[in-house]
Amino acid sequence: MHIPDGFLSTPVWAALDAAAAPAVGLIARRAQRTFDDSKVPLLGVMGAFVFAAQMINFPVGPGTSGHLVGGALLAYTLGPAAASVVLTAIVTIQALVFQDGGILALGANVLNMAILGVLAGYLPYHFWGRTRGRRLAIFAGGALSVLTSAVLALSELLFSGIRMPGTVLGVSLGLFAVSALVEGAITLGAIRALEAIQPDFICRPDARRSFALGAVALAAVLLVTGGVLLASSAPDGIERLGSARALFSTPFSGYDIAALGRGWFPKAAAGLVGLGLVYGVCLIIGRRR
Amino acid sequence: MHHVVLDQWSRRSSPLHRRDPRAKLIPLIVFLVVLATSHRLLPVFSACLFALLCVTLLWARVPLGGVLARAAIVLPFTIVFAAVTWVAGDPARGAALVLKSYLSALAVLAVVSTTPLPVLLRGVEMLGAPRFLLMVSQFLYRYLFVVSEEAQHMRKAAASRGGSFRAAAGALAVLFARSYKQAGEIHSAMLARGFQGRFHPLAAPHFHAADTAFLIFASSAPVLLRVAIERMV
Repeated sequence: MHIPDGFLSTPVWAALDAAAAPAVGLIARRAQRTFDDSKVPLLGVMGAFVFAAQMINFPVGPGTSGHLVGGALLAYTLGPAAASVVLTAIVTIQALVFQDGGILALGANVLNMAILGVLAGYLPYHFWGRTRGRRLAIFAGGALSVLTSAVLALSELLFSGIRMPGTVLGVSLGLFAVSALVEGAITLGAIRALEAIQPDFICRPDARRSFALGAVALAAVLLVTGGVLLASSAPDGIERLGSARALFSTPFSGYDIAALGRGWFPKAAAGLVGLGLVYGVCLIIGRRR
Repeated sequence: MHHVVLDQWSRRSSPLHRRDPRAKLIPLIVFLVVLATSHRLLPVFSACLFALLCVTLLWARVPLGGVLARAAIVLPFTIVFAAVTWVAGDPARGAALVLKSYLSALAVLAVVSTTPLPVLLRGVEMLGAPRFLLMVSQFLYRYLFVVSEEAQHMRKAAASRGGSFRAAAGALAVLFARSYKQAGEIHSAMLARGFQGRFHPLAAPHFHAADTAFLIFASSAPVLLRVAIERMV
């Protein structure tokens, strides 16, 4: 699920990097507020734990085994913001040291796994963590975190123009569903074992929340994830929108700087200028507070 | 463990090792962007970039064969996708996937194998990334080996209890609790040594004239190379 460099088209990786940079900055700030600097060792060691936990095999059927992915487990124990920071650190170290995932694709991988995956995984627990359906919520959270990250990664690849025959797409969706169920089961098993050792390892959502609101939020996550996948495998709607672009025009439309003529150079320049702008904005926001 | 080798390479000495991390990170981004946006004459351009990276690695006195083999870690994943794309009737894109992902990994390795990770992360921080996130990354990398060793014991423990799902869940929970406790002990030890939430490097980083020269040269090389190739044909 770690997308290497060279797979995503320029509009996709540039847009996702631009979205991920401020999101990571915001989440890091939020985590820093709850976990002051003195807790940095805890988050680092828990990141190492998620890495190392992959060595422990869970039997899931004759001759096959799965391992923990960890986004939901971290969200239940450290809270969602800290879990996002830890997973962002993991994805970064994997890209730099293990050549697992690209640098330009880092924004995409961070959004898929560390931000949206963790949020989707925390959502059921946030709403139903105090009800009788708590166990189901923990299971669903684990499953949803893996499913969301995997489907988003697949959609991004399809948006980038990587063609996949229908059967391949079906098989990969089936595999995602199986690994999502495995992650749900492992998360639930690990949380129960942890509670047996020391119950206060697990954060409890502060109050009972509305069932209807939770259902709407869950439906929204499923709808968006499914919708993005549908849109990416049949991008006609997007193309139609593109042809109607005369309605709204931006200086970098088509990822070109028109003043520089056509060809690759304006594209690359537009990409770099866009990255520079986002970088500048983040730097200014970061300095001000 | 296999990435210890990266630590050995990054602690050697060469002109490239001595450059400021920022002077290597910015050209890396330029290299990756120029490669990612190229379409025309990709095979010729890739061959030139490959030669450029090989010369850089030889100049940095890291074992060329070792780095080339390590970058091949991306190939199994890439080749599967390239095959799928080929079958779907787009062989050119399939080949582009392999070339771009391999060269990108090689470029990242050229930087990572000549910069110790703490120095590299410090460079990322100086370029504006959140300090909190990078401190977490530093700790993660530092304790990766410690916790991994513990995980191997836990794996053995789970296997000797029959390797059932319950045994594995128990092992995972114990690993979690031990890591948590260890983090607390590390924190107390650091407080006892006067830690106030920030690392102080022994030497303040200086951006020398050589760093500026390298930055300009290394950032423009892939751009000029691409302009030259596309003009020629």
